[in-house]
Amino acid sequence: MTEDSFTALMLLSTALFVVGLFGVLARRSILIQLLSLEVALAGPSLAFITAGARHADAGGQAMFVMILILAAAEVALGLALYLRLRRTADGTDSDSLSSLRH
Amino acid sequence: MALIALILLPFLGGIFALIAGKAEPTAARIVAVVFLFCGVLALAWTYQHAEAGRWMMMTREPWAPAMGMSIILAIDGLSFIMVALSLALGLLTVVLSWNATDRAPLLHATLCWTVAASNGVFLAFDLVLLAFFWELMLVPSFLLIAIWGHGDREAAAIKFLIYNAIAGLGLLAAVFWIGASGPTVSFDAFEVAERGLPPTAQIWLLLGFALAFMVKLPVPPFHAWLPDAHTQAPTVGSILLAGLLLKTGAYGLFRFPTLLFPQGMEVLAPYGLILGAFGTIYGALVACGQTDAKRLVAYTSVAHMSVVLMGICGGVHFSLMGAGIIMVAHAFSASALFLLIGAVYDRVHTRDLRELGGLQRSAPRFAAAFALFFSATLAMPGTANFLGEALVITGMFQVNWLYASITLVSLVVSVVYGTRLFQRIVFGTPRKAQVTVDLSFRELGPVVVLAIGTLLFGVLPQFLMTGLDPAVNSAVEALRAATP
Amino acid sequence: MEVFGLVLTYNHLLLTIPSIALAGFVMLGLDPFRLRDFEVRALALIGGVGPLIPMLVFANACFHGQCTGMVPIFTLKVGESTVALALQMDPLAALVGLTVCVIGAAVILFSVAYMQGTALPDLRRFFALMHLFLAGMLTMVLAGDSIVLFLGWELMGLCSYLLIAYNTTSAEAIRAGRKAFIMTRVADAFLLAALLLLFLEANSVRLDHLIPAGVAAQDGMRPIIAALLLGGAIGKSAQVPMHTWLPSAMAGPTPVSALLHSATMVAAGAVLLMRFSPIIQAEPVVMAIGAGLGALTAIFGAAAALFQQDIKRLLAYSSISQIGYMMLAIGVGAPEAAAAHFVVHAIFKSLLFLSAGHITHHSPRGTDIMAMRGASQRNPLAFLAFSAGAASLAGLPVITGGWWSKEAMLGAVWGVEPALWTVAVLAAVLTAAYATRAVLIAAMPDPGSHDGHADHDDSHDTGYTLVPLAFLGFGALLAGGLVEPIMHLLGAHVPHAPLFTILVASIAPLVGVAIAFALAYVPALANGLQRARDIARRTRRRPRRQDKPAGFWVRIALAFSRGLRIDTLYQIVFVWPFVKLVRWLNGYGRGVADPAGNLPAMAALRLQRAITAPFAPDWIDRTWTAFGGRILALWAALRRLQTGRARDHGLYMAAGTAGLLLLAWGLTWH
Repeated sequence: MTEDSFTALMLLSTALFVVGLFGVLARRSILIQLLSLEVALAGPSLAFITAGARHADAGGQAMFVMILILAAAEVALGLALYLRLRRTADGTDSDSLSSLRH
Repeated sequence: MALIALILLPFLGGIFALIAGKAEPTAARIVAVVFLFCGVLALAWTYQHAEAGRWMMMTREPWAPAMGMSIILAIDGLSFIMVALSLALGLLTVVLSWNATDRAPLLHATLCWTVAASNGVFLAFDLVLLAFFWELMLVPSFLLIAIWGHGDREAAAIKFLIYNAIAGLGLLAAVFWIGASGPTVSFDAFEVAERGLPPTAQIWLLLGFALAFMVKLPVPPFHAWLPDAHTQAPTVGSILLAGLLLKTGAYGLFRFPTLLFPQGMEVLAPYGLILGAFGTIYGALVACGQTDAKRLVAYTSVAHMSVVLMGICGGVHFSLMGAGIIMVAHAFSASALFLLIGAVYDRVHTRDLRELGGLQRSAPRFAAAFALFFSATLAMPGTANFLGEALVITGMFQVNWLYASITLVSLVVSVVYGTRLFQRIVFGTPRKAQVTVDLSFRELGPVVVLAIGTLLFGVLPQFLMTGLDPAVNSAVEALRAATP
Repeated sequence: MEVFGLVLTYNHLLLTIPSIALAGFVMLGLDPFRLRDFEVRALALIGGVGPLIPMLVFANACFHGQCTGMVPIFTLKVGESTVALALQMDPLAALVGLTVCVIGAAVILFSVAYMQGTALPDLRRFFALMHLFLAGMLTMVLAGDSIVLFLGWELMGLCSYLLIAYNTTSAEAIRAGRKAFIMTRVADAFLLAALLLLFLEANSVRLDHLIPAGVAAQDGMRPIIAALLLGGAIGKSAQVPMHTWLPSAMAGPTPVSALLHSATMVAAGAVLLMRFSPIIQAEPVVMAIGAGLGALTAIFGAAAALFQQDIKRLLAYSSISQIGYMMLAIGVGAPEAAAAHFVVHAIFKSLLFLSAGHITHHSPRGTDIMAMRGASQRNPLAFLAFSAGAASLAGLPVITGGWWSKEAMLGAVWGVEPALWTVAVLAAVLTAAYATRAVLIAAMPDPGSHDGHADHDDSHDTGYTLVPLAFLGFGALLAGGLVEPIMHLLGAHVPHAPLFTILVASIAPLVGVAIAFALAYVPALANGLQRARDIARRTRRRPRRQDKPAGFWVRIALAFSRGLRIDTLYQIVFVWPFVKLVRWLNGYGRGVADPAGNLPAMAALRLQRAITAPFAPDWIDRTWTAFGGRILALWAALRRLQTGRARDHGLYMAAGTAGLLLLAWGLTWH
């Protein structure tokens, strides 16, 4: 792997993470936030794979698989919570969920 | 060993009374009586095995040698008489409160503990032990007033505690200074007396000791706790307070200043005389205007105890002997008066002299008892009170005529307050409260015992005088040796 | 034989004399057997008359020269001194003791009937106290040492209080008893001081050691001791200036006045001086003071008695006056004459009280002197007795005992100080005047009866009443024969008085009688007296201005009838300041009760305030407190971060992580 491609891939992963972060912070809908979280997760996974390729270490690929599993579990849980919240509160406004007791 | 028993037996009596009371409420009083009676037996044993010489018996046990503290108990005639008095009053109060129902086991236990702590004061000659028992006395007395008293009892109990605890600080400070003053740390009073203390230090130390004793005595201006304590205390509390606790202060003044601080006593005795003279007139005058019977008797105690102070500070044989006799006589007469007033209060729930009256008609036994102890308060010849006062006056004539005259004036004022108490209760017609039930036999028993004591020691005081002799002699000797 | 280490001899039977009366007190006072009325009376008689029997035996022996002297009871050791208690029988003790026993027996006999109708407990109390008093007086008389003497002395004072206040529902009686007790207590204080000083001089309490020690006392002690003894005698015997308790003590029952306040207790002071006469006689100044006060008392008492409206008060002032005579006699160095007068006075004074009491017993006017009117018709026997006593009091020449004893005293005074003799003679005139006045009033017809003749009322004349009256009546008249033997007994050398004094002593009472008649029948004087009486009754408690100006005579009468208001003076000078002081100390009004007792508390509070005052809120304190306040504001502000919104917390997390990464990156720089 060349230096340039390494740098470019790292920049790409950073960009992915920032976009995802921005989405979580800027959007109020819970579904959109979950979506943004997925995008944000893509960033570090790409970074891990790039680093693994760079150092010819299979650990990067292993980390990617772990992140995948993590993302899957998190999405499952998140979607379940979203479905639940849609019933009791408005699912499009996460700001209204600001106190521990409703 | 017997001396330790004299302290331990009442103490254990209290504990076992409490335990017995948990099982069977009426057992506590029997246990108390048994243990107190064993104490009397121990005292009798001490008398039997008394050694010739200055001290009838002495006990020395190590306690904390590294700190110079040991258990040193000694008994001579004076201590013997005082311990006998405390045991007798203990038995008397337990009998008097025989039918008490409100937390009776604890009451009887408290009475026993007061006796135990007082015995400790009378017997202790290790200074820390003395201070320990001195402070310990406050606890059961506080409980007596605060739990079984009436009216504003907690305030009175706290006032009692504050006055005496602060005064005890003086004693503590002096004791620790003394302990640290020798080549090795030692609190043995005899050793300190042998060694001698520097004269200027003696004055301050004596002030510390004297403060504690004078507040207990009580001498004006430190007496304000006594009227409140007496008014709010239950009858048995008043009896122990007047008969026992005040005497510990007198005993302390009798014993320790001349033993430990002869030169200091030289210097401070004149001030003690002035204070005593002021106290006896002041107490008598205030008593003349009282409307509460118990408060009136409390102020008369102040007046009589101030005469004791004068006797002790006089420093001559007659006045010291007189002071010792007044201690015993006043214990009898004041206890009896409190008993009688308490009995009246139990019946009509008032001690106000403006409301009582007419006892002559409705309760002649009461009237007769009041008449006897009224004449004791007046120091009528034939009572031990007169003997004590006359001896003190004789001693005062040897010291300074002014004090003799002041004591004689207080004798005259005693008629004013004595008749005030007597005629407002016994004569006249009852204004608001009529006492119809005369003295019961349970109350009459203690009254008779106290009456016998007053009259017996008034007519045949030889036993008292021989008992007090060694203590008086050594006090006079110590003062004479201190005079350059 | 030996009992308790005491060798008993027959002489110890002397103890039975007071013991019988004491036993009476114990039995009646404690009442262990629930006595009934008849038994109470029997015991009263036994206890009252009992002491007379052994007394007669011992006194008889003593009069014939077989006095038992000191009888030791027991001994105490006080330090280096020995205190030996003893009784003694010497001529003085025998004489006084016998008189006391006889008078006591007579009075108790009388009172068994007089106290008819009182409730049983009160009756018991009365006789118990009378017995206790008798025991006390006899103890004092028979005392061989100062402790026993003082015991009897004080016991008498206590009984006096309890007996004056016998009627416990009468505020006046209680007040009178209290006043008597307090004043006699002052006298007791003087006596106690004297006895203790003598003890210090002699290192013993036996009288036969004390008296010589007192005579030999140095360093100015002797005049002090003598003066103190005189002070004690003055107070107990109700002499001027300590006399005001006796007239008000008449609030007690008549037998009490008859026994205590006429014959025995009030004379105890004189007896004391007779006993200690060696000491007194060694001090001329004290003698002079005593004589002067005695003379003053004699004339003042007589003058006051003349104008009294109450028969008992009249007799009280009479006692004061007569004992003044005794003091005068002692003061001029003739205690034997005083002793003789003591005996005669005891007889006629108790007679006067008993008969007056009997006459006025059931009168609605109480003891007002006008209640005596009609006595000659109602109770002729009592009236006769009263007259006999009055005659003796007046000292009618030769036929009455009073004349002989008074003449002995006046003779003694003439030899020493003629000025005092003149005063004494004037007093004798006044004495006869008031004695006769009383008899005249008693002889007057009772206005409340039909046609001037009162019904003869002898329902209350019983043997108990008549025997003592008769006995005392004869005694009053015949006692004159006793005077010289008494004086010889006590060792006086009786000089023959000059004829001049005997004549004067005979004429003086007659002048007095004339004066009494004048007062009764001369209109100006009699009306003046009546006017004074009316004014006194109207303004009894609260003096107010008279409507018309009263004449000089009326004012004199009024003043003397009130005892020259000396009692009021004492109230103002002694009682009122004392009461004010006591009230101030007790915080009446808006004061603070027990000021001395509050001192430590107030001092402690002041100290505490003084210590904490410099540390009151200052800039350090304010800064810290403000700091505390600002923290609060800071917290309020920081709270606003806690929105609970997921996005905000996500932002914080992100920012925090970024910061940490930057930090880590920065740390890798070298």
